[in-house]
Amino acid sequence: MQHRLDELFRQAESVLLGKGDTIRLAVTCLLAQGHLLIEDRPGVGKTTLAHLLARLLGMRFQRIQFTSDLLPADILGTAVYERDTNRFVFHPGPIFAQLVLADEVNRATPKAQSALLEAMGERQVTAEGETRALPEPFFVIATQNPVSQLGTFPLPESQLDRFLMRIEIGYPERSAERELLRGQDRRRLIEHLETALPPEQLAAVQGDVEQVHCADAVIAYVQALLEHTRDSGAFRLGLSPRAGQALIAASRAWAYLDGRSAVLPEDVQAIFPHVAGHRLQPVDDDGAGASNRARQLLDQVTIP
Amino acid sequence: MLRRQAADQLPHRTLLGLLTVLAAVLLPHLWRAPLWLTAVALALLVGRGVVSRRGWHLPPKLINLAGAGLAAVAVTAEFGTIFGRDAGVALLVLMSCLKLMETRSRRDTMIAVFLAYFLMLTHFLFDQSLLTAGYMLVTGWATTAVLIAISRRRYARLGAAEGRLAAILVVQGLPIMALLFVLFPRLPGPLWGLPDDAHSGVTGLSDSMSPGSISQLSQSDAVAFRVRFDGAPPPPQKRYWRGLVLADYNGEDWTHANVDASPRPVSKRAEPVSYTVTLEPHNERWLFALDLPANGPGTGSLSYFHERRSDEPVRETRRYTGRSYSEYRLQPELGDRLRDAYTQLPADTHQRARSLARSWAAKADSDGAVVDRALAYMRNQPFEYTLSPEPLPDDHVDGFLFETQSGFCEHYAGAFAVLMRAAGIPARVVTGYQGATESAAGDHWTVRQSDAHAWTEVWLPESGWRRVDPTNAVSPERVESGLGAAVSSDDGAPTMARGGEASWLRTMGRTWDVIDATWTGWVISYGPSRQSGFLSAIGLDETWRLVAALAGGVMAFMGLFGLVLIGQQMGARDPDPASRLWRRAQRQLAKRGIHPRAGEGPRDYAARALATAPELAATIRQVERYYLRLRYYPRPSRDDLAQLRAAVRQLARERRRTTSR
Amino acid sequence: MRWPVWLRRWMQRRHGDTGASAVLHYRRVYILPTRQGFLFAAILIVMWLAAINYNNNMAFLLTFLLAGIFLAVMNHTFRDLVGLQVTPLAAEPVFAGQTASFPLQLDNNARTARTDIGVGTDGPEGFYDIPAGERARAVVTVITRRRGRLRTGAITLDTQYPAALFRAWSWVDPAVHCLVYPAPETNGPTPPRRATAGGLLGRRTGGDDDFDGLRRYRRGDPISRIAWKATGSRELQIKEFSGGESEELLLSWLDTADLAGTEQRLSRLCYWVLEAERRGARYALSLPGREVPAASGPAQRDACLTALAEFEV
Repeated sequence: MQHRLDELFRQAESVLLGKGDTIRLAVTCLLAQGHLLIEDRPGVGKTTLAHLLARLLGMRFQRIQFTSDLLPADILGTAVYERDTNRFVFHPGPIFAQLVLADEVNRATPKAQSALLEAMGERQVTAEGETRALPEPFFVIATQNPVSQLGTFPLPESQLDRFLMRIEIGYPERSAERELLRGQDRRRLIEHLETALPPEQLAAVQGDVEQVHCADAVIAYVQALLEHTRDSGAFRLGLSPRAGQALIAASRAWAYLDGRSAVLPEDVQAIFPHVAGHRLQPVDDDGAGASNRARQLLDQVTIP
Repeated sequence: MLRRQAADQLPHRTLLGLLTVLAAVLLPHLWRAPLWLTAVALALLVGRGVVSRRGWHLPPKLINLAGAGLAAVAVTAEFGTIFGRDAGVALLVLMSCLKLMETRSRRDTMIAVFLAYFLMLTHFLFDQSLLTAGYMLVTGWATTAVLIAISRRRYARLGAAEGRLAAILVVQGLPIMALLFVLFPRLPGPLWGLPDDAHSGVTGLSDSMSPGSISQLSQSDAVAFRVRFDGAPPPPQKRYWRGLVLADYNGEDWTHANVDASPRPVSKRAEPVSYTVTLEPHNERWLFALDLPANGPGTGSLSYFHERRSDEPVRETRRYTGRSYSEYRLQPELGDRLRDAYTQLPADTHQRARSLARSWAAKADSDGAVVDRALAYMRNQPFEYTLSPEPLPDDHVDGFLFETQSGFCEHYAGAFAVLMRAAGIPARVVTGYQGATESAAGDHWTVRQSDAHAWTEVWLPESGWRRVDPTNAVSPERVESGLGAAVSSDDGAPTMARGGEASWLRTMGRTWDVIDATWTGWVISYGPSRQSGFLSAIGLDETWRLVAALAGGVMAFMGLFGLVLIGQQMGARDPDPASRLWRRAQRQLAKRGIHPRAGEGPRDYAARALATAPELAATIRQVERYYLRLRYYPRPSRDDLAQLRAAVRQLARERRRTTSR
Repeated sequence: MRWPVWLRRWMQRRHGDTGASAVLHYRRVYILPTRQGFLFAAILIVMWLAAINYNNNMAFLLTFLLAGIFLAVMNHTFRDLVGLQVTPLAAEPVFAGQTASFPLQLDNNARTARTDIGVGTDGPEGFYDIPAGERARAVVTVITRRRGRLRTGAITLDTQYPAALFRAWSWVDPAVHCLVYPAPETNGPTPPRRATAGGLLGRRTGGDDDFDGLRRYRRGDPISRIAWKATGSRELQIKEFSGGESEELLLSWLDTADLAGTEQRLSRLCYWVLEAERRGARYALSLPGREVPAASGPAQRDACLTALAEFEV
């Protein structure tokens, strides 16, 4: 299975030049069966990344552009009256796909946001009094603009918890950017790619990831990290036990991608800023951002 | 420093603890002190407790000052001075009680506790027995517990935890105590003039003898000295411990004369007996030796009368060796002048005794026959040997010999000497001890004050001075078996001297005697001279060596102690053996400049180490591999641990080799 | 206890900042007898002289036993402090003139309890008992005088346990700071009403003239607009208004030109931020070289106050 993953990375990097780390984190999130939040400025390739993953994983893909007038029904689907049969028929919304790209989630009203987030959490949709299961696998990539931008509705903290990880993409490096400017349109490149890891194999990999060994020493380390966020006073609220579970799940996936069958403290450290960053609010934000504060925190907690 | 507020004063419970401890420390003194002092001290202690119970204010400083002045005046009135042992102790008792009245701050209270420590020392000026030592150890522990409680900056709580810690402190103090006791240089005291009362209250023989003086001494169970014989002990009838020779007689008292002359010649008849004496202090200059002491090694000198003498009054327990001849001939020649002196009796005394003696002398053909005649008289007449004789009339020799006929050894010795002198035979009285009890452990013999004795020496032309014990004629049991066998059981002989069945009291007493003997022999008698002997025996006779040994000992103890403590405090030992080995590897690499960073994972650390120390790369990889396997992978094998251990050892070796180059 | 400045400097050079966490290693724990300790030693000497004078071996034994206890106490005092782990925690921001509290986490990783640990900058402010393996939270307070980032400077941890004959102490210099906001002006003028640039972006903002309906509460909504009656057992509902001028304030440095000094101007702005927040308005802050975009809620308040605290420091 490892060679298929290698193939996946190779192809992905040929499209998203110089963004190997980002791709790796995104795949980690996928393997850990969590949803991904990408936070960055427009135009750095958020949408491309989502397209790319959908293509390489052979998933049914839907994109929802979030705007201020987006209604929950636009996401979940509506019942439409059919004259012929004289009854309401449910027309599924774009959420009924294997990979959903929720673009610029923070532009929509909280009402629309929570419709998406609730679906993500439950992996099912309740509309018109009926509950419908979402397809398997089900993976949401949401993008959002940096919170400080005007005209946005920041996602509430309780909802942010539903994203396993939050990553940034950042501007490409100089050489990569030159290549990008010189080359073809990325979208077209993607169309030429072939599926590297079909859904049934993805499910198998996800099963393998769950088998990655997580020793007591690592659990103790995760616990120390959680306690530090709660006790240090640097954050308004410490990390929840659910965040701890997320850390371990993501660490397992990261270790798996590294070709190991056991989690090391370094795995926890690699994913920690991305898992903890959006769940933490520093008491005095000195502008470094929560992810950076989470990174600093790693230097303060000794590994048991 | 935070000021202790009024509300932070000693809690009642802690104060009660302090009062109880101080009372316990004072108790033996209060026994000895004048009644008014006991009353005042107890009143102050109780009063302080009531003040605390009721929550009253403490008296103002001025009142305390006045109290201190009053105490000084009262002590002066009682003792005539505020200096000296008894007055000083009395003043100290009062002052420490008064100090309790002004425990406003933590420091005041601590000073009260320090005074309690000092008061403990003063007990030993009166009594150095093991019992006192034990009592002081207990009070010392309790005082320390109180000190721990009151030294808290937040709340002075006295509880079980304080008691436990105090016990730990005392136990931890013992090794230092032992070290200092043995090695710390002893300066020969006293440093300044001792007060007159410094050594009062010790018992022993005096340098004169009158009727009743020895029977008084015999009431005491106190140990006079202990003896260890090098060979077999002499038979009971030869266990005469020569103390003083009393040659001057004034019709009432036999007194000792100081003659500045060397001892008279003596011709020995047998091999000498060697022995070691541990003498309790009796504040006089005479020592005791088995009759008849020879010139030989050891402390002191022999006097003209063949008494063993010390240069200084015996104020500390003293240990000395001696040699004695049981068969001897002392002073074979006696000049006419001396002969006159030893037969001198005051005129107009003891008329009936004189005429009796003269009648014996007229009938006998030799001096020896007169002696036998006199002994027979005492044996045949109904003489009674008793600790409580009937009162004697004015002429006590005539009264004793012809009327009461009841008396103790000094009556017999005195009367016998008078009879001899009246018969023209040179005679003198010797005081000392007779007898000895074997200890329960069998390694030494104990001589008590109840063994105090007096006998006579008569000069016979053929044998020189010869010991004659008239008591032996009256009561042979006294000489054979001791005082208890000789007097009736209701006669007031002390427990240890009493005969009959071995009562449990005596058994206990004898066991105690063994412990006390060990204590005295090893601890109490360890003075400046024995210390210097011991130090030179173990090679510490040079000052710098002694200083080095002392400092080294204290430092070693503190270092060991500190190491254990710090080890405990720096965090508990990691229960995971793999982690311990990993730490060891990190310590090795830290010496190579690769210090672990906070929050650095093992793989990152190993990568950094590889980059910094490529010469150790192979071993570092081994260590990393096995450590990760043991710590993070499922089901590590025992072999992995062995591999890790080997790799860490290898790392240490290589590190040393490469850094030393 | 006051230590000379040069000694504190030397200490600081020696130990550096206490960044994340410091374990009081034995090299940084100092120990000296207290005044009572010296007194005790003096009494020991007097006892020793008495023992010599009376040639009394029991007195010697007692004196030496007390000397042994004295040394044992030293070890215990040292041990009470050594190995203690001190972790500075973040301090809550305060307004100038208020008392800043610097929390410290004290971890006792040892197998024995630590007792009577004093913590403070200028003499102990509090005493802590920490059982084996447990932690305590100590607080050091500093009265703030001026705005900015405030550090405590050296904090002394000390102990005299168990017998107050010795005092062991150590210093830590936590690298944490407390944000000190300017003291708000008292009885200042009301904040000037002026539309912010945010209003021009065409964003739908809540006016306050005509009632428009209810919507669900979301973060940042002013509490004054919660429709308590409509809320009932459901989620919080917000009354929405439309039309009219928006309550969006621009709190600008330029509007405080009538005040003389920088600090006075910052005080006025501080007052305005608090006032705007109290009224539930959306507000923006404009300082030379620093803009805080319009928003409302505690996060906005903190962002503005932080900008004021850090202005030109």
